[in-house]
Amino acid sequence: MSEPGMVVEGPLAGLEEIKKQYPTERAALMPALHAAQREFGWLSHEALAAVASRLNLPEATVRSTASFYSMFQGKSTGRHAVRICTNVACMVLGAEGLLAVLNGLYGLAPGQTSPDGRFSLEVMECIGACDKGPSMLVNEDLHTDLSAEKIIEVLETYE
Amino acid sequence: MVTLSINGRKVELEAPVTILEAARKNGIDIPTLCHHPALELWGGCRMCLVEVEKMPRLQTACTVRVADGMAVHTETPRVVAARKAILEFFLINHPLECPTCDKAGLCALQDLTVKYGAVAGRFEEGKRVFPEVVDDPVIVRNMKRCIMCTRCVRMCDGVQGASAIGVIDRGAGSHIEPFSGGRYNCEYCGNCLTVCPVGAVMSKLHRYTYRPWQMEKTVKTICSFCGVGCTLRLEVRDESIKRVSAEYGDGVNNGLLCGRGRFGYEYADSPERLKTPLIKRDGRLERATWDEALGYAAERLLEIKKSGGGAAIGGIAGGRTTNEEIYLFQKFLRAGLGTNNIDSIARLGLLPAQKILEGVFGQGAAANLISGIPHSEAVLVVASDPTKLNPVMGLEVRAAARAGRKVITIGHVDGLKRHRTHRLEAKTGPGQETLIMAGLLGELLKVKPLTGENPGLEDAIRQWEKTLPGPDEVEKAAGVAASLISATAADLKEVSTSSIIAGRELASSMDMRTNMLLLAALGYILNSRIFLISEHPNEQGLIEMGCSPDMLPGERPLEVSTFREKYEQAWGAGINPEAGLTLMEMIEQAGASIKALYVLGEDPAFNLPARGRVKEALGRLDFLVVQDIFMTETAAMADVVFPALCWSEKDGTYTNLEKRIQKLKKALVKEGIEDWRILAEIGKRAGLPARYRNVSDIFREIAQVSPIHAGLSFESIEEGGLLWPYKGKPLVYSATPYSAAQSSSVSTAAGGLYGPWAEAAWSGAPQAQNGLKLVLDKPLLHSDTLSTHSGALMDLMGGPEARLCPETGSKLGIADGDAVKVSTEQGHISLKARLESGLPEDALFISNNFRGAGAFELFGYQLEPESKTPVLTAQNLKVERL
Ligand code: SF4
Ligand code: SF4
Ligand code: SF4
Ligand code: FES
Ligand code: FES
Repeated sequence: MSEPGMVVEGPLAGLEEIKKQYPTERAALMPALHAAQREFGWLSHEALAAVASRLNLPEATVRSTASFYSMFQGKSTGRHAVRICTNVACMVLGAEGLLAVLNGLYGLAPGQTSPDGRFSLEVMECIGACDKGPSMLVNEDLHTDLSAEKIIEVLETYE
Repeated sequence: MVTLSINGRKVELEAPVTILEAARKNGIDIPTLCHHPALELWGGCRMCLVEVEKMPRLQTACTVRVADGMAVHTETPRVVAARKAILEFFLINHPLECPTCDKAGLCALQDLTVKYGAVAGRFEEGKRVFPEVVDDPVIVRNMKRCIMCTRCVRMCDGVQGASAIGVIDRGAGSHIEPFSGGRYNCEYCGNCLTVCPVGAVMSKLHRYTYRPWQMEKTVKTICSFCGVGCTLRLEVRDESIKRVSAEYGDGVNNGLLCGRGRFGYEYADSPERLKTPLIKRDGRLERATWDEALGYAAERLLEIKKSGGGAAIGGIAGGRTTNEEIYLFQKFLRAGLGTNNIDSIARLGLLPAQKILEGVFGQGAAANLISGIPHSEAVLVVASDPTKLNPVMGLEVRAAARAGRKVITIGHVDGLKRHRTHRLEAKTGPGQETLIMAGLLGELLKVKPLTGENPGLEDAIRQWEKTLPGPDEVEKAAGVAASLISATAADLKEVSTSSIIAGRELASSMDMRTNMLLLAALGYILNSRIFLISEHPNEQGLIEMGCSPDMLPGERPLEVSTFREKYEQAWGAGINPEAGLTLMEMIEQAGASIKALYVLGEDPAFNLPARGRVKEALGRLDFLVVQDIFMTETAAMADVVFPALCWSEKDGTYTNLEKRIQKLKKALVKEGIEDWRILAEIGKRAGLPARYRNVSDIFREIAQVSPIHAGLSFESIEEGGLLWPYKGKPLVYSATPYSAAQSSSVSTAAGGLYGPWAEAAWSGAPQAQNGLKLVLDKPLLHSDTLSTHSGALMDLMGGPEARLCPETGSKLGIADGDAVKVSTEQGHISLKARLESGLPEDALFISNNFRGAGAFELFGYQLEPESKTPVLTAQNLKVERL
């Protein structure tokens, strides 16, 4: 448990800053989970436990929250997290075809990581960019109006 | 006043409540699934939908509050259709495996499905599948059956305060995890099991052994493990307890239990229970008839009385004996054998602590209602951990914290980690509480004016004030930041009501008197209700029934002749006016002035420090009688052993830590003789007339002779028990000398009963305590060795552990799970090391529950001169890896 005024270094040092921006520790949970995911790439049991103890929250609460949102990864992932929307609007605009492209080119299947560890793929239910679908997120960048060519072009910019 | 109509009926209410409460109060049933009166409102299942005129959509009755003029309809076709649809929704996934589910017959979903029509699912996709998880020792989890009402989570989070579980994943994958495995600090209270409306989480203990409707009877009684005195329901079939439960509204615990109470009952059925009386012949304990054993014991005791006088005999009682048994026990010893050498396990802390508090505030100083704790503005917990020792009382402290009250812990109090406002804990571990309390008192006196209510006490406090250590001194010696002490005092400045909880840890100290007076001073300034933790279910009864060398039943001082005469008359025998020996003195004198001991439901050879010396002393006795349910270490040394009946097999009363007298009810008929009858029979043989037909007769006698119990009867004890100050006369301590006219008052003037307050001036110069320390651990799931006879509790914690923090572990080169040998000048034991973060540095926690590796093998003791309480010592403490 972290005492007030304690200087924290090492893993998750950034949480102290985040905590200051929120009225309660519970309110800081979502940003803290984002920070942990940025730092470790995914949220392991250890990472969740660390977030819990830093925020003085029960581990069960932290895990419950993390497992509810699909943007938090509970498994180790590739270097880049590809989240592609297959909800109605994007599907109608051709998202399904894009999945086939990804599979063919990188051996990527939903919920999995490419054999070279470069990408992992998650299928999303709407990422709020329906008007410009098909849409995807790569890490935290939004890419829209995708086509078979454009998606390759975009992904090739991520090493 | 709110007026509304429900189903056309006019309903008037004082305060605005929910539609559900209003309906239930008026006998109208609305089905619910996620609602539970003990839990935070949630409104998630939609089972309770009702129609409210002028509101377009159906409303959830469990969350919507009534308003004036509202017209509610609970069973319209529209409502019924909605309920049916919701049930269909649940049954998309719920497996309806009622024929093989233990919950069948008690399941809310089953009942509702029957009521609103069997629902043939229209859903074509398969039901969700989760494997049943049975690898936990006490909880079976079957998530296919879960309807996601979150009652278990709200119980664990919002009532138990363990926050051990949560809803994991989302949508059809949602399930509750993990319940067990020790991960996330499940406390194994099982309170989640009682609120699950379906069979998704259930107790493993009785799995597949019975159907609820096959139960022969359900008996409401009191728990046998600690001084909270929770009400339990024993569900019985074939003279065996199948399940222990409690329901919302039951007892002081309001339906909550801890793991010991809920899962610890199996000891009653243990094959190791003693069944026949035993007599030692040629060094071996052999079976004997009751007549032989009773006759032999009485004969030997009378012989010893004749040759050495009554003072050669002593008696020791344990805290699980009933009031009626204790009363007869001390009567037999006092009136039958002529000795005042009578003491009990309450000597280890509760009795001396209570005596000092009563000396300051009067009798009943620590008789307060547990249910009041969450309503106090602040709660101070000092040195002892209520969440482990009196777990259900601990829940009230957590409730106080959740309600935003200030919770302050002084010393190491593990179980309130997430439930406290200020933590005043010495860096060097337990043992500095005196200093911290003194520092806090000093700071409080600066910010909080004395009220003048108790001038005598205030004089003493003012005198004392000059010598109290400043916060800087406390910081230097104990490592508690001076600023934290001042901040705590500032936070307590405006507090007008508070609760203080303390236990044996404060009393088992050479500074016992100072500790208790500091506690009293803090209590006075903060206007506190004080609670003394009582580790056994009837420790309070031991005190009230006169199981001590200087007190008669009703806590009347033996030295006052008018009290003595009253008892002499009632018992038809003289009472020795000299106070007898205390617990440890009797042991120390064994073989010297003490020739014989009668031990009732206690195991001094295991439960007292300096075990080696205690056993040697017991071995020097001419005669030892033990009455117990198991072959304890003491029983194995006895000349006569009487097999006792256990708590579920007898009637009687227990007095809990609030001084609430509650009834123990016989649920099982077992072979054997009730303990009171054994005592009455042996008393008869020693010339004491015994005309008791049952415990009610004994209780009547108690009410006749004990002034505080005057006017009570066994029959008048109803559910909820009898509350202090009963109907009788509490003892009043007055500053004027005792006079015969005030038959219930005792002087506290100089040389009086408990010594004058001023004598206990702050004496200790603050001192740092460095180096490795041995601390007596008190695990949540065990209670003496009794709990080690319960399979489920052994599955949860099956052996001794030496707990220490990782830093200390690495300093000593010890890793988690290592076998270690711990030794002191007293002896040594081998056990497993367990590294746990959050423990104080340089402290080694070992409990005294497991035979062969109990902490009392290591602890020596020193007698506190005034109370003769053994204060634990551990010289030459060493730990090595094996
Ligand atoms: S047994 Fe108690 S602590 Fe464990 S999950 Fe259930 S409610 Fe929580
Ligand atoms: S396990 Fe039981 S109490 Fe918990 S959410 Fe599921 S159905 Fe409700
Ligand atoms: S808190 Fe005490 S009385 Fe209540 S169930 Fe637990 S051990 Fe029994
Ligand atoms: S449907 Fe694809 S972003 Fe909303
Ligand atoms: S009981 Fe009202 S919504 Fe569940």
